[in-house]
Amino acid sequence: MIFWLLLLLGLRADAKPRMHTVEIRGMEFHPAVITVAVGDTVRWINQDIVPHTATASGRITWDTGQLTQGQAGRFIGRARGTARYACTLHPTMHGRVIIR
Amino acid sequence: MARTRHALLAALPFLLATAVHAQTPPAAASPQLSDPQVAHVAVTANSIDIDLAKFARAQSHNRAVWQFAATMIRDHGSVNRRAAALAKKLGVTPTDNAVSQSLQTAAKAAHDSLAGLQGAAFDRAYIEHEIGYHQGVLDAIDKVLVPNTQNAELKKLLTDVRPVVATHLAHAKQLKTRLERSQRTTK
Repeated sequence: MIFWLLLLLGLRADAKPRMHTVEIRGMEFHPAVITVAVGDTVRWINQDIVPHTATASGRITWDTGQLTQGQAGRFIGRARGTARYACTLHPTMHGRVIIR
Repeated sequence: MARTRHALLAALPFLLATAVHAQTPPAAASPQLSDPQVAHVAVTANSIDIDLAKFARAQSHNRAVWQFAATMIRDHGSVNRRAAALAKKLGVTPTDNAVSQSLQTAAKAAHDSLAGLQGAAFDRAYIEHEIGYHQGVLDAIDKVLVPNTQNAELKKLLTDVRPVVATHLAHAKQLKTRLERSQRTTK
């Protein structure tokens, strides 16, 4: 009984939404590909000396807006899928968020 | 006239490289540029690209070129603000020098060459220039500016700027391909 209770509590803890951080540095997203669960938050923090955005415009969309150095933007994955995103100011910068 | 203009534009990367490499010590022996001179070259290089981007924003009607120019103004402006803050912190006054002067001479030639162009011809020439210019700046960072810099914080700023310049170069190359493709489809 205690075992099942602990297992249940463990599963509940696993289901808690998590925060994932993507660093923008050296004109790249680190990591460039990130896998998260539905309900998780992805946070982009800009460490570069120039502004950036993290913007997705496909089936799953979001836009952090311009982030200057030290600023962060967030997105919560509400549905399963893969979103490709880019920096609208630097179109050669790409990333991917996989929501499972 | 058009041939002269194109020859000058084609020579711009070499003008930049010559301006920079003229100061390169033969065997990288003693530094040829002091830190205040390195700071001046960096600020000048950024300012030149900002001015040309402002000109491109006024001349071009191509949305992608317009956005590229906006990015140049924004990014090189950020770098110059950071350089100014660092110079203030270090109590350094950027000092004019032969490399900065050569860059300004080359920039004036570039501006004059572009001023006679319009429409798609202007867009192509501006982006060609940006490819050559950013390649020249990358070479300057690697071969002259970083090796000559003594102060660790100034060196770190130059190192931080390098990927920004490399990204601008990749962006300009991508845009060049796009312009060529759209030119082919409109023929």
